[in-house]
Amino acid sequence: MTDLQTAPASDGAQKKPKRRFSLGLDKYSGIYVWAVLVVIFALWIPDLFLSWDNVRTILTFQAISTIVALGLIIPVAAGAFDLTIAGALTVSVCFTAWALLSHKGVVVAVGGALLIGVIIGLANALVVVKFKVDSFIGTLGMSSVLGAIAYMITDGGQLVLSEQGYYPFLDFARTEWLGISAPVYYAGLIAVVIWWVLEYTPGGRYLYAVGGNPVAARLAGVKVARIITLSFIASAVVASFAGVVLLASTANASPDIGLGYLLPAFSAVFLGATQIRPGRVNVLGTIVAILLLATGVTGLQLAGAPTYITQLFNGAALIVAMALASRTARRRS
Amino acid sequence: MTTALSVRHATKIFGAQVALNDVSIDVEPGEVRALVGQNGCGKSTLIKILAGFHAPESGTEVTVGGEKLAFEDPAASEAVGLRFVHQDLGLVGNLDAVDNMAMGSGYITNPTKTIRWRKERAAAGEALAALGYDINVRVPVASLQMSERTAVAIARAMTDRGSPVKMLILDEPTANLPDAEAQRLYALVRRVADTGVAVLFVSHHFDEVFEMADSVTVLRDGNHIITRPVEGLDEEQLIELVVGRKLEAHNKDAADAREHGPEILKLTNVAGGSVTGVDLTVHRGEVVGVAGITGSGREAVAGIIFGGMERSGEITIDGKVLPQNRPDISIERGVALVPAERHANASLIDQTLRENITLVDPGRHVTLGILRRRPERADVRVWLDKLTVKPGGQTEYTMAQLSGGNQQKVILARWLRQEPEVLVMDEPTQGVDVGAKADIHTLIDEAAAQGAAVVVCSTDHEELVRVCDRVVIMRRGVSAATLRGNDITADNITAATIGRGTGDSTEPAD
Repeated sequence: MTDLQTAPASDGAQKKPKRRFSLGLDKYSGIYVWAVLVVIFALWIPDLFLSWDNVRTILTFQAISTIVALGLIIPVAAGAFDLTIAGALTVSVCFTAWALLSHKGVVVAVGGALLIGVIIGLANALVVVKFKVDSFIGTLGMSSVLGAIAYMITDGGQLVLSEQGYYPFLDFARTEWLGISAPVYYAGLIAVVIWWVLEYTPGGRYLYAVGGNPVAARLAGVKVARIITLSFIASAVVASFAGVVLLASTANASPDIGLGYLLPAFSAVFLGATQIRPGRVNVLGTIVAILLLATGVTGLQLAGAPTYITQLFNGAALIVAMALASRTARRRS
Repeated sequence: MTTALSVRHATKIFGAQVALNDVSIDVEPGEVRALVGQNGCGKSTLIKILAGFHAPESGTEVTVGGEKLAFEDPAASEAVGLRFVHQDLGLVGNLDAVDNMAMGSGYITNPTKTIRWRKERAAAGEALAALGYDINVRVPVASLQMSERTAVAIARAMTDRGSPVKMLILDEPTANLPDAEAQRLYALVRRVADTGVAVLFVSHHFDEVFEMADSVTVLRDGNHIITRPVEGLDEEQLIELVVGRKLEAHNKDAADAREHGPEILKLTNVAGGSVTGVDLTVHRGEVVGVAGITGSGREAVAGIIFGGMERSGEITIDGKVLPQNRPDISIERGVALVPAERHANASLIDQTLRENITLVDPGRHVTLGILRRRPERADVRVWLDKLTVKPGGQTEYTMAQLSGGNQQKVILARWLRQEPEVLVMDEPTQGVDVGAKADIHTLIDEAAAQGAAVVVCSTDHEELVRVCDRVVIMRRGVSAATLRGNDITADNITAATIGRGTGDSTEPAD
């Protein structure tokens, strides 16, 4: 019973307090785990895993998920869930394909898709801010509405861009610089912008303040409704942009194309909230989380695991992330 | 008889801070012991060790009724007979007393696991009756009086859960109670002690120490200063023990001598929340108090002025009309609000002191589109020093790492940094220890001396006497009377708030 109490590091008041987590194990644990994964797969399947082709595949494959997850950080920082990101991406893919196939031109197609993003964000804000519906429920409902809209646009079928006719548009995702495809650069650029906004602008402070305590934020002069509205617009526009990139890389649109993007984005954002700046969602942490998840999933697939491993891995990661987050929260209180 | 609680060499270190340094105390059965000290003195740490929340350093030994306590295990604390009632009581407001009391011990059921409601209700009623309370156990506890809710929480704690109760530990039991209700609670605690249970309570309110306790233990900076009987102790001595120095007697003349500038804040027929009609003018350099019982409108005045609440009527700052419900515009015009209940209304508990302080105006340190951390930290450090926030200079600590009094100072720093022209404060020293309280009062003096108009809404009448040039009394939603100069005494304020006072009720609260 009392044996529990003889903790080794505590010899009474005189002992100099030991600095905990000297390796930054709490903040950077994801990076260590990632490194361990890399080593494991490098030893297990060296010829497949360590190839430049594989690195490129991981990066390209993850670029679109990364863009979606980065957008999601913004409303989550402000304390709001946005479950419409996958729906916004789908609608954007379908609309862009439809507009291109109807010969509206690239500008109308892409501009329209981004404008639809703005409208989706505003609609979310209307539901959550104005009608005061819980963001989880409100955006869940909205995402179903968006699913229906995607069906309307495509008539339930697939829209396929024939490769020749849309060459310039497809270049948008298929160009490579230094052997790395364009979407990776887009993800990088968006990451830098959102990182700058969150960490180095007053707007970032307001977002986290609203997420932390909306009443206190309002009484400190923060325009809470405006912040939440803008955060929904930001995430929807970013998701719409991801949709445009996705269409350019696959050249095909269907109303269920976005299904696989929702959960990985949430997994990455919440797992990311345990990294770099533990306790709050943040860009660098999200990127670490994506690398971690992507490496794990790809490695396992290359080693011969079945495809459903992706879903399994992402779902488990989301749960582990939430469990870790609530543990840190408990430890701090 | 075995000692109810014996703590030996209790030590606890957090990071570089010694929160509790070799503290040894004993409490006997049937004794009521007060545990007092400033915020951060180690009393919460001690309670949390007893509750099984913190593991102390090795060498610490605790026995309860002779039985050794295993640390960091709430179930073990309960098994040896310790019971806790925390300040927030831990009741579920929309459930009735029966349900709340069953939460710890489980329901009485028949063999088919159906709850035997009648028996359950009778048991709850009896438990409360034993404490001297006759309460309808079937109404939601949120609709009970505060002292009745406390009684429900205590009755629940006292319920036998397989181990006899040896000690009841209360955290600030009367913090939010009006005087009459506090008296009822004193009697209740006495009844509990008379059954042979030891009582240990944490308190910032010295009147409750003198009314309720047999003996008092003082902690300061983690050290055990003294344990002695309350008898023969007076308030001044106790304050000195707690603070470790003599508090300077405040020179009331300073307030009297204060020059008041031109009028700046004017309320004309303003209503909102529990306020039905207030007219008020405040001058630069003046400190105006607002007193009143709960429900009188006192609690709404601050929010109405600042714009955190809907209202009607007209408010002007320097003659310019202030729109309602727009905190952002109020801030632009130089109004600041230190709201009541900082946890709900002011703190970003998981964020740094830096982010908490610069929240109103984070753009101040933006150059070339980048918010610069270094000048921001320097700026914040100046304010932490100015308000003597402890531990000093830690801009990157989170709010949660500070004690209550220091958190309040951080909120104050947030607003003083804005150099407000109108400083509105609601319960500015709620849950704050005597030392920090004196500091905050001095800061109020300074703000006024620099030409700010200050409005202090408070239920702490001594506080109003200390800082105010004028005290407006709220009754039934209206500004009913005003006290000035030598008429501002705690007794006069109390009398006026309940409507039998000497306050001149014919005179409008100009």
